[in-house]
Amino acid sequence: MADEDPVAACVSALVAASITEQQATALCGQFAYSADTAGFADSLMQTNQGLNTLYLLSTGALVFVMHAGFAMLCAGAIRSKNTMNILLQTVMDAAVSAIAFYILGYGFAYGIGNNPNGFIGDALFGLARWTSHSSSNDAGANWQAWFFQWAFAATATTIPAGAVAERLNFNAYLIYSFFISAFVYPVVVHWVWAAEGWLGYARLASYSHLFRSGMIDFAGSGVVHMTGGFAGLAGCIMVGPRMGRFDSNGQPVEMPGHSATLVVLGTVLLWFGWYGFNPGSQLIINYTASAAVAGRAAVTTTLAGAAGCLSCLLTAFLRHKAWDLVSGCNGALVGFVSITASANVVEPWAALIAGLVGGWIFDAVCMLFLKLRIDDPLSAAPMHGFCGAWGVFFAGLLAKKQYICESYGRDCDGYVADGLFYVGDGRLLASQVIGIISIFAWVFGLMIILFGGLKAINLLRISAEEEQAGLDVSKHGGSAYNYDHGLGKPEKAQALGL
Amino acid sequence: MSEACLAAAKSALVGVANGDNLASAICAAMEAAVAVPVARHLEETVDLTALQETVDTLGTNLQGTMDGLNTLLLLYGGALVFLMHGGFAMLEAGAIRSKNAMNILLQTIMDAACSALMWYFVGFAFAFGIGDKPNKFIGNAMFALKDIDTHNTGSGTGKWIDWFFQWAFAATAVTIPAGAVAERFNFNAYLGYSMFIGGWVYPVIAHWVWCIEGWLGYGVLEPFIKAGMIDFAGSGVIHMTGGLAGLIGAIMVGPRLGRFDADGKPVDMPGHSAILVVLGTVLLWFGWYGFNPASVLLINSSAYAIVCGRAAVCTTLAGAAGGVACLVYGFARHRGWDLVGLCNGILCGFVAVTACPHVIYPWAAIICGLVAGLWFEFLCWLLLKLKIDDPLSAGPMHFGCGMWGVFFTGLFARQQYIMEYYVHAPSANGDLSKPYPWGAFYKGYNADGELVASDGKLLASQIVGILVIIGWVGGMMVPFFGIFKFFGALRIPPEEEEMGLDRSKHGGSAYNGHAAGNVHGLSPNAPGTDVMRNSSPSAKVIPVTA
Repeated sequence: MADEDPVAACVSALVAASITEQQATALCGQFAYSADTAGFADSLMQTNQGLNTLYLLSTGALVFVMHAGFAMLCAGAIRSKNTMNILLQTVMDAAVSAIAFYILGYGFAYGIGNNPNGFIGDALFGLARWTSHSSSNDAGANWQAWFFQWAFAATATTIPAGAVAERLNFNAYLIYSFFISAFVYPVVVHWVWAAEGWLGYARLASYSHLFRSGMIDFAGSGVVHMTGGFAGLAGCIMVGPRMGRFDSNGQPVEMPGHSATLVVLGTVLLWFGWYGFNPGSQLIINYTASAAVAGRAAVTTTLAGAAGCLSCLLTAFLRHKAWDLVSGCNGALVGFVSITASANVVEPWAALIAGLVGGWIFDAVCMLFLKLRIDDPLSAAPMHGFCGAWGVFFAGLLAKKQYICESYGRDCDGYVADGLFYVGDGRLLASQVIGIISIFAWVFGLMIILFGGLKAINLLRISAEEEQAGLDVSKHGGSAYNYDHGLGKPEKAQALGL
Repeated sequence: MSEACLAAAKSALVGVANGDNLASAICAAMEAAVAVPVARHLEETVDLTALQETVDTLGTNLQGTMDGLNTLLLLYGGALVFLMHGGFAMLEAGAIRSKNAMNILLQTIMDAACSALMWYFVGFAFAFGIGDKPNKFIGNAMFALKDIDTHNTGSGTGKWIDWFFQWAFAATAVTIPAGAVAERFNFNAYLGYSMFIGGWVYPVIAHWVWCIEGWLGYGVLEPFIKAGMIDFAGSGVIHMTGGLAGLIGAIMVGPRLGRFDADGKPVDMPGHSAILVVLGTVLLWFGWYGFNPASVLLINSSAYAIVCGRAAVCTTLAGAAGGVACLVYGFARHRGWDLVGLCNGILCGFVAVTACPHVIYPWAAIICGLVAGLWFEFLCWLLLKLKIDDPLSAGPMHFGCGMWGVFFTGLFARQQYIMEYYVHAPSANGDLSKPYPWGAFYKGYNADGELVASDGKLLASQIVGILVIIGWVGGMMVPFFGIFKFFGALRIPPEEEEMGLDRSKHGGSAYNGHAAGNVHGLSPNAPGTDVMRNSSPSAKVIPVTA
């Protein structure tokens, strides 16, 4: 019976109830169709869940690979005597931020508890009551959202490591790492990305939006990069320059990194990871429009990075008459940081502008830092802080209405705040500026207090002897490199001409 | 009436899926039908409009799911292909001397950036643009992504992700030659070359083979001799193009100083880091899982999903076989297990199978890889005899093995697998507009459905494909490099080569272990401070000053 065609069974039932066979077939066919559609809809919904999970899983993993990128980039760009220290910091950032984000961070960022408010989340601490309190339309599912968001939190956490490299006390770094991933970063996330946040463009329709617009920050030029970059700025101002970075006349002394190969490896891994960072930030991909947004994000990301790379490469060539590898790498990353806010809503040619100008801003800020004798070994603050701010600002200029509607599910017939250079009325740009100011004030203020407190109890910086010897020997019990070419003593190696 | 009907219908539908719902729906409709004649009832009361709406919604949702799935495939695949830049950078840096490491690293990064701009402005348009006057030779629309919303981008209309995915391939083709001309090429010449190949040479070939308006590919609308060349992910389009451009560059720029001694015997110039070579190889291997399987472009049907899976299997086997072939060959010749030989062999296997991982049996992939490895070793030997210096063996690997892969496809492509992937639409009179030619090694079904031996059309197409790619790339690159050579801008001066490009052109060295002196916090002369042992020119190098 179970194998019998349902339509045939229905027809025989109707014929038994004295209806002609032809009519019965027509009727039953329609009803069977109708019953089938319910089954199709259900399996389609489940397929979509699988698809969206795979999407966030794979793109989240790409974002996580950026840790390897940061580790290689930072290690290559500093002196080899501190390599183990910064490698350890990067790995530890991933671990510490996971714990901190689990216990507190995710709750502050996305928790919707009894008193939802625009400033901070208030539920889901330790992922408690996940099934009832996670995002309303997929309650109980969607665990990958935590994973995906954590990967971003870990990125924000590890950005400052480069700015304070080679001289920060390891305990201070541990404290900082927990503080930023448990509190400072999640609050910014809540403002901009959570459904209740006061600042975000995607705030629930039932709330009023800032200037009737809100701030567009697709994947986090502001939320992630400005947060990390300005935290690094606060750190490297408070901790002071490395010994010997500026001579007695205040002139900068070159301190080249120990391996250009690692810098390039890091850059390529970051570039690779950015294809998760930006295209993944659409969060769902089971609509034609959102698939188009993910695709466009990949295009604009590529073009901005390419433009930034060539921009910095040419600037460096004009200044030094040499093709500078590290400048090219920095430039590519600057381009990515600059487009991260608006990768979903700008035209490809606009992405080129974002990267090009980002490169100039980066170079200008780097020069300014040297004048002010701020020592940022990896240029993390100019890159992530200032170019992040540029990226947010840029979204206010060239965000295109049609693309905003696609990405944020708006109806283009209604009012949609868009970029100033189109028919925009400046509401979006004003929101972007407010966003920049708020994020800067929140992050920089809190971080100055934190690092100032650590400095007051003399926990911020290592001693001069330790800095001279290098952190690897003084704190980590050895060196990153231990070569033995199997040739015995150095004299023998020299005799062999190696 | 209602209860009786319900009972009757339910009993009739016991065990049928949704039986109870069906029964009540039927009875409700029949009750309504009492008042109206059944014929009218069918037209008026059964809510066909609502049903149509449900189906339409389902269709839209399904479309969204398919778009999302296909976008994810190309996004992820394209990102993996991009990661091959990391692989090339590490491989090339590790396989050359450290005094030129920054130079080649910069070239790789710059290739990615330059090719993105060129691909945006002209390359993608030349390759995939179908404008008002489509032609077989070159694309003519979508310059700077203009009107992308209304144009076929390769896997559909207005698919942004296609640009990204295809760019990742273009960037790969552009960066392959860097290894062949390493350590002595003028940086400006390289910059010019990078833009030329990314914006012109490669896109034209891609149009011939991969754009449906082209003439050479198997899947194009009107293929050459009604067969066309099968090149799934680009053994010919990408690897032969890049490899041949590199080989021409290596021949025209001449060998590195001291590569051949006064008697013309080759002098070994080992790379500075085997670790980087292995890291590069593994990254390339990883990236190849985007390069080949994702080249299916769509994955929303069972057939495509199977093709995608088979591509991953064949890719793996060919790479493994190539590696083993080179490893064993190296051992037989030198009585040493050669790490770099193994790495090269693996890559040769991948290059060779790239043309056909979707249409061959797994055992054929092993043959493909094994032969590729031995063919590679032969070509390397030949280049040394001819005193051509290709530091990374990019010519033998990408050009030589790419050529082998394209040829191999003409022998071992299986018709049944071909039909899974290439769907030829029937023409107006119901016949297939194109037959499905298959590999010369097998029997297959002709247009009349008879099992016959291959007519060799596929093999002929593959050979023609090899010849025209050689002709086009050679015809473009020889004059291009020739102009640079004529103006003396192709090669750096011997002093700079001696010093290394890093110090002469890039303002420093890749490794700053020695210069900083007390790097590890140990005394400068202690063992362990030599971060890289070849950071100064090796004593083995004999400068040729004559």
